[in-house]
Amino acid sequence: MGRTLAFSLFLIGLTMGTTPVLRAAETVWSGLVIAENVAQPQRIPPELIRIEGSLKKFFGYNQFQVIGQSQKTLKTGQEDWLATSKFFGLHVDARGETEAGYVLNLKLYKEKELLLETDTKLSKRSPLVIKGPQIGGGQLLLVLVVQ
Amino acid sequence: MKTFEEKWTAWVDGQLSGRELSEFEASLPDKAAAEAEKAGAVKLGELLKRELSVRPLTNEEFFSHQLRENIARLREAGAREGRSTWWTIPRLLWTGAASLAVFLVFTVVVMHEKNPAEESQYLTQILNARVDPVVSPNATVSIFEVKQDRVTVLWTEGLQSLPADYAAK
Repeated sequence: MGRTLAFSLFLIGLTMGTTPVLRAAETVWSGLVIAENVAQPQRIPPELIRIEGSLKKFFGYNQFQVIGQSQKTLKTGQEDWLATSKFFGLHVDARGETEAGYVLNLKLYKEKELLLETDTKLSKRSPLVIKGPQIGGGQLLLVLVVQ
Repeated sequence: MKTFEEKWTAWVDGQLSGRELSEFEASLPDKAAAEAEKAGAVKLGELLKRELSVRPLTNEEFFSHQLRENIARLREAGAREGRSTWWTIPRLLWTGAASLAVFLVFTVVVMHEKNPAEESQYLTQILNARVDPVVSPNATVSIFEVKQDRVTVLWTEGLQSLPADYAAK
């Protein structure tokens, strides 16, 4: 009884110490968002709720609407995808996975014209917001979140 | 009233005296034979006392005896130890608990040392950013980190403004 207990404790400790952390496939949400100031703002999209405070504080708008989005489940960390609206396209090219997140190449197109390109290490715990061009009275924002 | 046998035994042992002694000796039919028998009985008694008494041990015998007892005790203890193992149940439990404690200490130390390195990986990092110089020649980019919400912001200024129609879905 006592020996079995001691052996079990030893085995549990050994298992805890040697078992690698198993990773599940993760989903990256990428969105084209129009930020505006309106009299009666609509409810913020659920994907942006966790960064609502930062968006309002940083950009000074009270309404955020998604005009294009894409959800991609990454399995190899080498996938690429596109989030599009009528005039804009955000091409995301994943170029590998690290312990902290994904290495991504982002390209923002206005129709076929490349406006902006950036390389980033997207942390699994840290969303990325990119301020795009001014559109009318509002602002185009690009948002990437690991869900 | 003592019987003859009792008086005889007392006489042989020299325990009769006075009138009792003289009366007993007078009652003996052959006093000389009785005296010879008494002397023989006394001799026999002395011989038995001398030969049958417990002989005291000499020093050498005493130490030899002690030594043999010690050797026997040690052999018995050795045999007992040979049968048992060091891994008794309490020792197993203590060893298990100690191993877990060492494991936890090392885990805490490793985690503690790993955290500062993770801080830099905590927030999304912008490695580089480029704006098309032809389309937006005066555009600049800046990077902000909002640690409270763990948000990284790539802030562009001077991008070409577009009409509201471009906000269409």
